[in-house]
Amino acid sequence: MNLGSPSAAAAMPVAGVPGRDTVRETTLANGLKVIVWPVHDIPNVALYNWVRAGSRNEAPGITGLAHFFEHMMFNGTTRRQLGEFDRLMEAQGGANNAFTSDDVTVYQDWFPRGALDLVFDLEADRVGNLAFVPQVIESERGVVYSERRLRVEDNNQGLLGEQVQATAFVAHPYQNPTIGWPADIQSWQMSDLQKFFKTYYAPNNLTLVLAGDLVPEHVFALARKYFEPLPRQAAPAPVRTQEPEQIGERLVVVRRKAQTPLLQYAYKAPAAADPRGPAVNLLLSILVDGDASRLHRSLVEDKRVAIEVSGHWQEGFDPGLLWLYLTLPEGSDPAEVQTVLDAELADVVKNGVTAAELSRAKNLTAAGFWKKLATIDGKAQLLGEYEVFHGNWAKLFAAPGQFEKVTREEIHAVARDILERRRRTAGVLMPTSDDGEESAEADIEDADLDVSEDVEA
Amino acid sequence: MIARFLLKMAAATSMVTPRGSGSVLAQTSGGGVHVPTHERFVLDNGITLVIVPRRDVPLVAFNAVLRGGGLGDAPVKPGVASLVAGLLEKGAGNRDAYAFADAVEGVGGSFNAGAGAESITIRGQFLARDQQLMLELLGDALLRPRFEVEELETLRSRHIEMIKAAKDSDPSELIGLYGRAFLFQDHPYGRPVIGSETSLAAIAQHDVLDYYASQFGADRLTLVFAGDVDSAWLKRMVTKVFAGWRRAPVPAAKLLRPARVRDRRVLLIDSPGSVQTYFWIGNVGVDRRYPQRAALDLVNTLYGGRFTSLLNTELRIKSGLSYGARSGFTRGTVPGEFAIHSFAQTEHTAQAIDLSLQTLTRLKREGVTAEMLDSARAYVLGQYPLSFETATDWAAAMGEIELYGLGPDYIDNYGPTLRKVTLQDAREVITEAFPTPDALAIVLVGDAAKIRDQVKGYGTITDMTLTQPAFDPAEVIPVAGG
Repeated sequence: MNLGSPSAAAAMPVAGVPGRDTVRETTLANGLKVIVWPVHDIPNVALYNWVRAGSRNEAPGITGLAHFFEHMMFNGTTRRQLGEFDRLMEAQGGANNAFTSDDVTVYQDWFPRGALDLVFDLEADRVGNLAFVPQVIESERGVVYSERRLRVEDNNQGLLGEQVQATAFVAHPYQNPTIGWPADIQSWQMSDLQKFFKTYYAPNNLTLVLAGDLVPEHVFALARKYFEPLPRQAAPAPVRTQEPEQIGERLVVVRRKAQTPLLQYAYKAPAAADPRGPAVNLLLSILVDGDASRLHRSLVEDKRVAIEVSGHWQEGFDPGLLWLYLTLPEGSDPAEVQTVLDAELADVVKNGVTAAELSRAKNLTAAGFWKKLATIDGKAQLLGEYEVFHGNWAKLFAAPGQFEKVTREEIHAVARDILERRRRTAGVLMPTSDDGEESAEADIEDADLDVSEDVEA
Repeated sequence: MIARFLLKMAAATSMVTPRGSGSVLAQTSGGGVHVPTHERFVLDNGITLVIVPRRDVPLVAFNAVLRGGGLGDAPVKPGVASLVAGLLEKGAGNRDAYAFADAVEGVGGSFNAGAGAESITIRGQFLARDQQLMLELLGDALLRPRFEVEELETLRSRHIEMIKAAKDSDPSELIGLYGRAFLFQDHPYGRPVIGSETSLAAIAQHDVLDYYASQFGADRLTLVFAGDVDSAWLKRMVTKVFAGWRRAPVPAAKLLRPARVRDRRVLLIDSPGSVQTYFWIGNVGVDRRYPQRAALDLVNTLYGGRFTSLLNTELRIKSGLSYGARSGFTRGTVPGEFAIHSFAQTEHTAQAIDLSLQTLTRLKREGVTAEMLDSARAYVLGQYPLSFETATDWAAAMGEIELYGLGPDYIDNYGPTLRKVTLQDAREVITEAFPTPDALAIVLVGDAAKIRDQVKGYGTITDMTLTQPAFDPAEVIPVAGG
């Protein structure tokens, strides 16, 4: 068989995303927006309720509150006992989950189409009539604290990430860990809960997105029946704080019992709606996505100084962070790995990326996009992301074209803008033996730092 | 981003997931399930080829299942199958590792090889227009892997370091490996397929080559393609690409039924400073052909398979002790484990384990009610189609059906059987498949000094440390330098 070399392969064809003409939306009198994508492949429905409240909307004393609501919303209303939400939904074949980020709290239900009426009833009930029962709140504090132990206190990646994020922002509430600081989890008050709920769980602050075996008019009728009685509230106060320009590199060193050292970089990066968004995503893909990515190839395969490299762009309402996460082999010196990593990043900043790299990143991104669109869950999620973070769900249908037209020059420009040492926060987890002694001889580079913190964990 | 509930919490035990069907069932009421029209061939050299055409998107998903997996590992050297799988995409045919990755990712494809207890699988997806490249890469990986020593060394040290990193950041992810080693002991299901730090360090190139020579061959392979394919073309091409591949010199090892533990025993894995205790409680369950599988899925849904399960209700909803608690059955050619997974603050370790054991006692003694059974039935039927939306889902399911010799009835009859499950069926599986609370392997990862007194009443304690380079407490640690 003779096949052309892969680097000569054409870019993935930009087929139009089908379905644009079938999506319907309506906005109720109280400001609740409902978006429906009818898809009849399976007799099921995915519902996403997007609440514009995340750890970004918290202040000292109430960090973790948005996430706490993500738990409390399942714990009973003035009409329904604790546990009934799940019992009723499961008995009609539905399952649910929810997640909280820096920007939003999202409630997800996956159910057979016959459960649609019940799901609307349950969703509207908890927004309209949430119960605030002291002993339920106390019990849920325990659950959330257990989650914190799992994700942060017994998890070195999580622990270091929390420290880096808190250091990267000096003013903006993106410094808050979504799970909340321990003292806040243990001490927020009933009045804090009630105020937060009234402000953010108002119909005008929610967007319902449904994909699946649905008739839009029927969905809108149910939305009117169950949600329209809920009163509109004053719009939440905007987050006014803007993070001031970072004027020098920051470093956090966590010393802790461990076998493997960790290294994280968090660069200041644009907000989700920034027009450079597709270029930022493609840059990240070129750096860390797959075995052929720059950093994997260089650090993991060629030089073998890391065992894993990954990355993440926090695409939020406000300018956030572009993260790189490295797991290092036992006994290695993070400072040496930093030198190698810095050289790779400097090369991208200086010379940009190759045509083959960009083509590969575009094809991987397109494949990921189509993979997501293959399920009703992925459709509901993507529609919601474009509506909430980009202002209009219809932009989803133009997304492949937006990625396709990104040029090498644009990638080079975002690399220069973002991968700037002055605007980064580095985190190092240094393993110590059980008695607290550093187990590896290592010096942490401390040149040109404006902030340096040591955290004993 | 953090979620309400760990849907995949029991990933290490591979929960029994209800399987459902795709678009064909839209007409039937919830959960009616049919394997879509497909073709199945056995080629002259013994390769089983399954083609599931679905033309909704211009993609082709594949699933290559090679019988053997961890069963082909020497008892003293687990981890070889896993390295062999990883090396299949690290250089094959005319491509070195970089060229191979460039070929896959350059066209936006995916190609992921991994080893399980009974098979090595390669799964991935390409655009329909790249399916010739896809077949070429599959053929090279399976017939002409390079197994270069340098790639082996890189991968081997990465596997070792990844185990260490997981111990630092996610001990609950590894607890199933300790659990299986402690429960199954010398049975092949007790071996960690990924290997241990000790066993991996001892693996040399000849181990990899020996494995390939004895465990690879046409008669071990099932190839499934699902998506936008032309069956006639695909059959011709597969025949051509795999023509002349020999059969494996030996059949895949036969498994004996593992023995259940008959007492209560505790493996205490010390992780000094851990603020939470992660626990795994199990015994041998049932196999893939267990005739009461529908009833089993319903009872496990009620016991530990969904948010309102008995376990999660006690450990999370009512007590706030834990972020979550789940249970599941791993069912292989022979019975794998039933296991409970959860965790709680160090100080409340015994309280959480007691609650888990009490719910098991309650299940065994009181069973479930008709109302509970109906709720579980609606839940499993309602969630069923969601596992079968995509070509990738179908490629996975058809591969599993072939590996375990189940036939399409395994899917087609699932919904109708679920509908007929009675309370008597539920009682039967509770007796047969769920362990009694006095016969259990209990594995704990936590601060031993703080929890030893709390847990000493559960049974004889075997000690090890989390940093010990093995999952099996009985694994001999070689003398340094030896």
